[in-house]
Amino acid sequence: MHYDSTITRCGQTKIEPIIALSGITKSFGPTQVLSHVDFDVRPGEIHALVGENGAGKSTCISLLYGLNKPTTGEILFDGAQTQIQSPAHAQQLGVGCVFQELSLAGSLSVAENIFAGRAPSKFGKVIWSELRARAEALLAEFDLTVDVSKPVDSLPISSRQIVEIAKALSLDSRVLLLDEPTSALTPDEVEGLFSVLRSLTQKGIGIVYVSHHMSEIFEISDRITVLRDGQTITTESTAETTQAHIVSSMIGSAHPGDVEHSEDQLGDVLMRVTNLTDGTHFEDVSFGIRRGEIVGLAGLLGSRRSEIVRSLIGLGGSVTGKIEYKSQEVSFNNLRAAMDANIGFVPEERKTEGLFLDYPISTNLAAANLEKHTRLGMLNGRSIDEASRDAIDAFSVKTGGPDDIVGSLSGGNQQKILLSKWLEREPELLIIEEPTKGVDVGAKFQIHTELKRRAAAGTAIIIVSSDFPELVALSNRILVVHQGHVVADVLASEADEDGLIRMAAGLPAPTDASSNLYEGTPT
Amino acid sequence: MTMISSQNQQVRTSFLRSIGRAFVDIRELTLLVLILGIVVVMSSINPYFLSLANFRAVAVGMAPIAVIVIGMAILLASGGFDLSVGSVMALSSTIVAMLLVAGGSIPLAVLAGLILGAAVGFVNGMLVTRLGINPLIATLGTMSIARGAALVLTEGFSVSSLPAEYAWLGRASFGGIPAIVILMLAMVIVFDLAMRHTRFFRQVYFIGANEKAAMLSGVRVDRVRITAYVLTGILAALAGVLLSSRLMSGTPTAGNGIELQVLAAAVIGGASLRGGEGTILGAFLGVVFVALVNNSMTMQAVSIYWQMVVTGSVLVSAVALDMLIRNGRT
Ligand SMILES: Nc1ncnc2c1ncn2[C@@H]1O[C@H](COP(=O)(O)OP(=O)(O)OP(=O)(O)O)[C@@H](O)[C@H]1O
Ligand SMILES: [Mg+2]
Repeated sequence: MHYDSTITRCGQTKIEPIIALSGITKSFGPTQVLSHVDFDVRPGEIHALVGENGAGKSTCISLLYGLNKPTTGEILFDGAQTQIQSPAHAQQLGVGCVFQELSLAGSLSVAENIFAGRAPSKFGKVIWSELRARAEALLAEFDLTVDVSKPVDSLPISSRQIVEIAKALSLDSRVLLLDEPTSALTPDEVEGLFSVLRSLTQKGIGIVYVSHHMSEIFEISDRITVLRDGQTITTESTAETTQAHIVSSMIGSAHPGDVEHSEDQLGDVLMRVTNLTDGTHFEDVSFGIRRGEIVGLAGLLGSRRSEIVRSLIGLGGSVTGKIEYKSQEVSFNNLRAAMDANIGFVPEERKTEGLFLDYPISTNLAAANLEKHTRLGMLNGRSIDEASRDAIDAFSVKTGGPDDIVGSLSGGNQQKILLSKWLEREPELLIIEEPTKGVDVGAKFQIHTELKRRAAAGTAIIIVSSDFPELVALSNRILVVHQGHVVADVLASEADEDGLIRMAAGLPAPTDASSNLYEGTPT
Repeated sequence: MTMISSQNQQVRTSFLRSIGRAFVDIRELTLLVLILGIVVVMSSINPYFLSLANFRAVAVGMAPIAVIVIGMAILLASGGFDLSVGSVMALSSTIVAMLLVAGGSIPLAVLAGLILGAAVGFVNGMLVTRLGINPLIATLGTMSIARGAALVLTEGFSVSSLPAEYAWLGRASFGGIPAIVILMLAMVIVFDLAMRHTRFFRQVYFIGANEKAAMLSGVRVDRVRITAYVLTGILAALAGVLLSSRLMSGTPTAGNGIELQVLAAAVIGGASLRGGEGTILGAFLGVVFVALVNNSMTMQAVSIYWQMVVTGSVLVSAVALDMLIRNGRT
């Protein structure tokens, strides 16, 4: 129905936006988060919303979706002033949303999650066969074939992100709000998402796209709006602007550039893994890592990168094979045992696995560092506070101070806290899943610099990242994992994104760039 | 949905911020005001209410509950729960009494009672952590077992004729303050400080707030949770010792339904069934509040049956009010 009206509107010279924020301010208690925000979405366009961590992007999304109400200013829907009362109301109006943090009910099945509360039913009874068929059809658009009757919990995080997007699509929305939808997606999945988004715009659907990945934004968007400190700085047509210009309006200065690749001296082998097999997820995994080395794990959906690294530190099931750490065979029963051996682990899901959202920053940072702040069983509040201030300064976390509740920070700032919590331990081996998930360009540079610095000081770092350019920029060596097997071990300096994607998809490497530093090296 | 929850968080756990800084947070202040309110109203209605004798009676009467609430508050903070506390109290009071009657020495008998409490707590902890049984079901089971054991051992009768020296703990007083009250206050202070400042109890909060994140921060989750159950068992057994010493008998039916009062007190004092919050001071003030409400009713000759109705209502209203405050801020 609204489809027709869109078409006529497209025919006019001036295209009426579907939804618009006009002169918006928003405060949470005493803190003003948005001031003077003007933003609109037209039918059939992809409008990117960019800005540093804490700039106010997610807050804008929450206003458009009725989760929060503006303090002053208006929301216009089809040109008419509208008060969006609740997400349910927003959905009625035709607004669908994918949140920055996943919001699926983990124990329910994929199909139920997609059609939450709107399952096809007859006389109050859910028609399961139809529910499943419709869910499968939706997911097929993303080339995702999963058993839709399985609980969402059992899926890897990138599949869950796709389920979340499918859920928003199932609403037949006119406007789709996507808050960092690709933060857990590998490059091929991002391409899948983009082709779906393009077909949606063909149907006249307007899309708001929040991301920190400039390459994505320049590939997919029609217009870009930059937010800085809660203000809209500029709105530009993507075709007529440049990445450098957008980034400098985001941060108010020039792009920091990429971290230098330095040829550091590597130390002795810190951990060596031989023929590690867990029987269900991965098989015959062998690799080594030296002190001062950064090893990246690249892989696509189903590669089992997470299962592999987690099994090293007592977070997987039982394994066969050998793990040697500091030249001794080890088998950690739990993370604590690995931590006592001076190994650190930054998990991928900051909300459910990494942070205590209801607790202050200081308490979160102390969580993995309690020994350090304890004397005779008593915690030292002052040293906890000092460490917190240091961490906040080091990564310029946008916050009022160590007492702020972590859940009130923006997504990227939460990520900085999670990373700091583990950096504070100064582990000899640090395993990180998605080190820069959701952080802005500047913070990414800061984090990369810090990780490089740690490596130069002798820390060995294993990185699992779905951001392939990040792996290339950061690692010394990249292991490519395909369906539980390490299929390549390449020097990052000889790797490129396309080659990695090919190998990760199980195709042969374009050139024979693979080499193995570890074959025959004496321990 | 972080957006929704982040708003509630401001309301929800300002307490951890206050841990180690200010002693009294909003919840505890509210309770203090309520308690003062009761005192003012009741003393105008009934002059005896404000007497030293009445306060002493209330304080002595609530001591066992106050000791147990310490354990319950710790468990609730860890996301756990224990229904067996009343039965453990009864079982320890009868076992200690029986050992004394059989000629056992007082320290040994008391020690045996406490070890028994620890054992029940350990079983609860193992059932909940290692077997993954829901705490409600697991402790409902041990509640029945412990009560049954106490009744079987005594064939349902109280055990009396305890040695006279045993009365010391329950009946002695220093400068007019009963020893049992001094012990209660000392324990409340020690555990309150421990909850705020020690590493162990900080881990308890972490587990209650987000068990997975706690595990992934290096907390030995099972070990801490089992310890919390054992501690609760010991405290319940200690309450049984205090009770039997005061009454000079071991009563297998003692503490029937006490778990509800303990729970009500802890929740009124700021603990939550979802875990991750609450203080010992708050829970203790909750006990004082419930005890004064009951005392006022007794004084006004409200029947014991009605008192049950009121305790239940207070619990439900406290929880409901709590939910309203949290959800109402969106
Ligand atoms: N409920 C809240 N209470 C207090 N402050 C809040 C609340 N929600 C958000 N903020 C603050 O508002 C600012 C903007 O947050 P928002 O989440 O919109 O940022 P963002 O642009 O989405 O950042 P990111 O890229 O990190 O996701 C942040 O400084 C954040 O701390
Ligand atoms: Mg955000």
